[in-house]
Amino acid sequence: MASNLTKLSLGSLSIFLFLSCQNATEYKNSVGNKTSDTCRYYRYDAGQIISNLGCKNCHVSFNVDKIDVYGITTWRGLAAMDSLKLIDYAFTKKHKGWCSKNGDFKTAKMDTLSDCEIRSVIRYIKDFGRDIPMPSQ
Amino acid sequence: MTTDLVHAIRANLAILQNQPLSGGIVAKNLHISDNGSGELTLYGDFIITLKVLDLTTNGAPNLNSLMTFTQQVITTKLRGGGYKNGVIIHKYNSARKIFDKTKTWTYSIRYNFNFAVNVIQINMLTQIKGNDFVLAVVDSIGHQFTDKYGRRQSSGGLTQGEGGPATVSYNSWQKNKYIGVHEFFHTLSLDDIEDSDKKSRLMYHLADNSGQTISDTERGDMMKFIMVNINDITKINSTNINLNTLSRLRTFLNNPTNGFKFNKTKFR
Repeated sequence: MASNLTKLSLGSLSIFLFLSCQNATEYKNSVGNKTSDTCRYYRYDAGQIISNLGCKNCHVSFNVDKIDVYGITTWRGLAAMDSLKLIDYAFTKKHKGWCSKNGDFKTAKMDTLSDCEIRSVIRYIKDFGRDIPMPSQ
Repeated sequence: MTTDLVHAIRANLAILQNQPLSGGIVAKNLHISDNGSGELTLYGDFIITLKVLDLTTNGAPNLNSLMTFTQQVITTKLRGGGYKNGVIIHKYNSARKIFDKTKTWTYSIRYNFNFAVNVIQINMLTQIKGNDFVLAVVDSIGHQFTDKYGRRQSSGGLTQGEGGPATVSYNSWQKNKYIGVHEFFHTLSLDDIEDSDKKSRLMYHLADNSGQTISDTERGDMMKFIMVNINDITKINSTNINLNTLSRLRTFLNNPTNGFKFNKTKFR
């Protein structure tokens, strides 16, 4: 009886130690990933990128509806979209090719944005839908 | 979209019946000129109205003076027009005075707008229309934020976002007279600045702010926001669409994460 109990305890301890080590490894990895990512979000810079690209010339932000009277998706409408869909439409397919090198909007220069800048732009858009307040001291 | 249409119909009916347009932004005498070399100049006379709602428990004896100051600064900062280049929009047909939706063009846009700014006090919620701008004066704001340097900061003013309602703590406004303008410029689409080399800017929102300048880019961004959609320039007269101002103000004030303290009996 005592022997069985000892075996059971040792078995549990082994499993516990194994899981502990696994978790420790995973934690280390996640820290490693975090420190290697130098992309930091700063709302002002993201806003400047959007201002320079002129996104709000078409996707107006001064509207609480998702589509405006001209049938164009507003800034709020963009914020309601899935992030991956936004990236795909805005940057991968470049607005149906309008923003590609030979497209109508070729001067928009979306190709010059880094991965970090694209992520910042997407967060800026998504944050608009979250109504995150803007504070001052 | 439905509210846009309803509002557009109402605005057009008001024009036909010669009723005065109302709202945060009322535009008159809108017109456009094309220099034929890629520059469009937009003209218009704008009346911007900001309604101030005093929700403080013990009253705000200096409110009138703060409102007058805010009105003067907003007027001064918007003066001088704005400029944006590299704007891709539909091509303007100056002979037909319409934007051709089958063609796009890259323009430089010069905003030659005149502004009259009204900062007026209101006492009842019934004085707020759906398309108004509003600044609520509260006792205090508990909201805190982390700046880009990782430091926790308190808030003297808080704005929900572009076109949204704004708030200011009365004590903070008395200490820094520019907070009312700063918050209203959030409503007009400007973002906060935290760069240490831009402390002299009005939108620099940390305690060591040392000035109140507005850059040409910021002024251009506000003009673009005020114009909303360049296609509207052909309407001659217009007013901004419904913003659900009262509903948004109620939600904003009652959001516990914002930590507003105010006299709830005045919110009636």
